[in-house]
Amino acid sequence: MTATRRLNVTRHGLRGAQPIVFAHGFGCDQAMWRYVWPAFADRYDLVLFDHVGMGGSDATAFDPGRYQSLGGYADDVRDICHELELRDVIFVGHSVSAMIGVLAALAEPELFSRLVLVGPSPRYIDTEGYTGGFSHADIEGLLAALASNYAGWSDSMAPVIMGNADRPELAEELAATFCRADPAIAEHFARVTFLSDNRADLSRVHTPCLVIQSSDDAIAPAVVGTYVDEQLPDSRFVLIDATGHCPNLSAPEATVDAIRSFLGS
Amino acid sequence: MSDPTDDPAGSTEQLFDDAPCGWVLTDSAGVIVKANSVFRSWTGYGEAELLGGHRFQDLLAPGGQIYYQTHLEPMLRIAGSVSQVALELVCADGSRLPALVNSVLRRNDAARAYEISTMIFDASDRRRYEQGLLEGQAREREIAQELQRSMVSGVIPAAPSFVIDVVYSPAVAGLAVGGDWYDAFWLDGAQSTVALVVGDVVGRGLGAAMTMAQLRPAVRALATTGLGPAAVLEGLDLYVSRYRSGKASTAVYAQIDLATLEMRFACAGHPPPVVIDPNREVCCDWTGRSTPLDTYRSDDSRRPEGTRQLVAGSTLLFYTDGLIERRSNPEEDGLQRLIETITAQREHFAGVALAHAVARVLHDPDQSDDVCLLAIQLNSTKT
Repeated sequence: MTATRRLNVTRHGLRGAQPIVFAHGFGCDQAMWRYVWPAFADRYDLVLFDHVGMGGSDATAFDPGRYQSLGGYADDVRDICHELELRDVIFVGHSVSAMIGVLAALAEPELFSRLVLVGPSPRYIDTEGYTGGFSHADIEGLLAALASNYAGWSDSMAPVIMGNADRPELAEELAATFCRADPAIAEHFARVTFLSDNRADLSRVHTPCLVIQSSDDAIAPAVVGTYVDEQLPDSRFVLIDATGHCPNLSAPEATVDAIRSFLGS
Repeated sequence: MSDPTDDPAGSTEQLFDDAPCGWVLTDSAGVIVKANSVFRSWTGYGEAELLGGHRFQDLLAPGGQIYYQTHLEPMLRIAGSVSQVALELVCADGSRLPALVNSVLRRNDAARAYEISTMIFDASDRRRYEQGLLEGQAREREIAQELQRSMVSGVIPAAPSFVIDVVYSPAVAGLAVGGDWYDAFWLDGAQSTVALVVGDVVGRGLGAAMTMAQLRPAVRALATTGLGPAAVLEGLDLYVSRYRSGKASTAVYAQIDLATLEMRFACAGHPPPVVIDPNREVCCDWTGRSTPLDTYRSDDSRRPEGTRQLVAGSTLLFYTDGLIERRSNPEEDGLQRLIETITAQREHFAGVALAHAVARVLHDPDQSDDVCLLAIQLNSTKT
C-alpha cells in the first residue's frame, strides 16, 4: 500500500510550489494543524498526514519492528516525500514529531530545506544533568490514563463531534476518525515517544531549524526548548505567549507569524 | 426562605453550587475561576486555595497532565467539547479521586476569549468495577498462556537416527492465545516407532487452550494402545463428539517406523505434510486426507490413511496454517510459497536447520495466528 494511503495524506495549497509537510505529535491527528495550515495555502504546497494508528491512517500497516523507535516514524515522513516527489521540503513537526523531523533530516539531509520544531523535547525523562520534566512513574501514569480512556469512550467520540451544533462546519471538515487511535498502537507510540532519548542527534543536524517554545508548556518546558536550541548548530528560538503544549491550537496566530518570519528570512 | 424565582441570579448560583456533580469553570489559560461546593468537598481544597491561580490540570497526577495536554485540550479546542473522559484528581490530602469528566468550550467572540466549563462525576465505584474486569481479562489471558506453554513444552524423543525440532511462535497481533499445538512421543517401550502430531484448535483464548489440554493427552492415550493413524483420528472424533470440545479442529498424526522408515499418517482437515527427500523435488503429500475432527459423518467409511516410504536423509515438515497464511495477502498461494521457500533455502540448509531458515523467511511481522512447525530429520546412520 502506498504511504499516501497508509498515512491518510491530505493536500492543500499550491501544487508544485515549495512543499510544507505538517506532522502532528502524540495525541490526536492532522486536525491539530487546522488553525495553522490555511495561512500558508496561498504560497506553499501543503502536505498533512496521520501517524500510523492515529486518525484516518491504516492501523493494519503497523509493524512493531518498524516502529520500535522514532526512526520508523521518520522513515514514514521520507516515504511520503519520495512518493509525492517533494523536494526542498519545509518540515513542521509538533511535539514528538519535532524529533521525528530531526531524524528524517539526519537520514536524508538533501530532502529538507528547513525544520520547524514546535514544542520539541529530545528526552522527556529526567536524568543526571538533564531536566526533561518527567519520571518513569509519570509515564506509567500516562499509560494508565490512556488505557482507562480507551476502555471508556473509544466508540463515543464521533457522535459528540457531529453533534456540535454551534459549529456545524466541523462535522463536514472533521472525519469520523478525528482523534481516534488504535489503543495498542497509541500505547506503543506513547512508550516510544516518552522513553526516547535523541539528545545526541541534535548537534548533527545542519538543516536550519526554528524552535517554537510555548511560554507555558508542561510537557516541553522552556528549559528543554532552550537546550534544543543550544544543541542545534543552526537554529533560531522563538518564545511565544501561549498556554499549554499545543500553541498550534492555543495561539495559532503567533505560531503562524513565527513560521512565516522564519521562512521569509 | 424566599422563593428562588424571586432571585434568578441567586438561584443560578445555588444551582451551580449544589449541582449533583463537581463543576468547575476555567479561563483561557486553564486557571480555575469558579468551583462549586461539591467539587471543593470532594477534593478537600478550600475556595481560597482553589481560586488562587490553580489550573484545573494542576489537580491531575503528572501522567494525567500529559494526557490532558495531548488529548483532552486539543479535542476541546478543535471539537469544542469532550465527554466521559476518565481522569484522576489528586485531592488536598494526596488521595486520588477517579472521575469522569465532561467539558465544553464556551467562546466569547467579542472578547476573543473563551472559558471551559467542566462537570466532574465521581467514578470511584465504576473505576473499581472496570479495574476488576480488566484484571479478570488479564488473569484469563495468563491462564491461557500458561496452559499453552504447558501444551507445547515437554520432552521430545531423541535418538541417533533422527532429530526433531519445533518452531513455535504465538500470534503477536491480539492478546488471546491461539490454538496451535504439537506433540512427539515414543509409541512403544522399545523405541522403534515415533509418533508426531500437529493440531490447530478452533477459537482462541482460554477455551482454545482448554481444548488443546484435552486433545493432546487423548491422542497419546489412543495412539499408545496400538491404533493406527486413521483409527487414532477416529477415536479423537468420538472423544470430541462426546465431550463437545474441539469440533472442527484440524490435526495431522503420523507414525514413523525407524527400522523400515515407513511412515503411516492421517490428516484431518490439516495442511499436508511436506517431504524433503535429498534426491527429489520438495513436495506435499496429499494422501491420507479427510475432514476436520467430528465432521466426518459417513458411518460406513473410515478415515483414509497415507503410507510413504521415506529414505534416510529426508526431512518432514508438519505445520499449522499460520505458517502459510498471511494477513497482508490472503489471496496468495501460501503452500506454493512454502515449497518455493524450502527449495530456495535447501541450497544453504538441511534438516531441522532448513526448517528454522524457512520459518525465518516466512515470518510475518504482523502475524495474527500462531505458527507451529514441527520438523523431523532422518539421519543417514551407517552402523
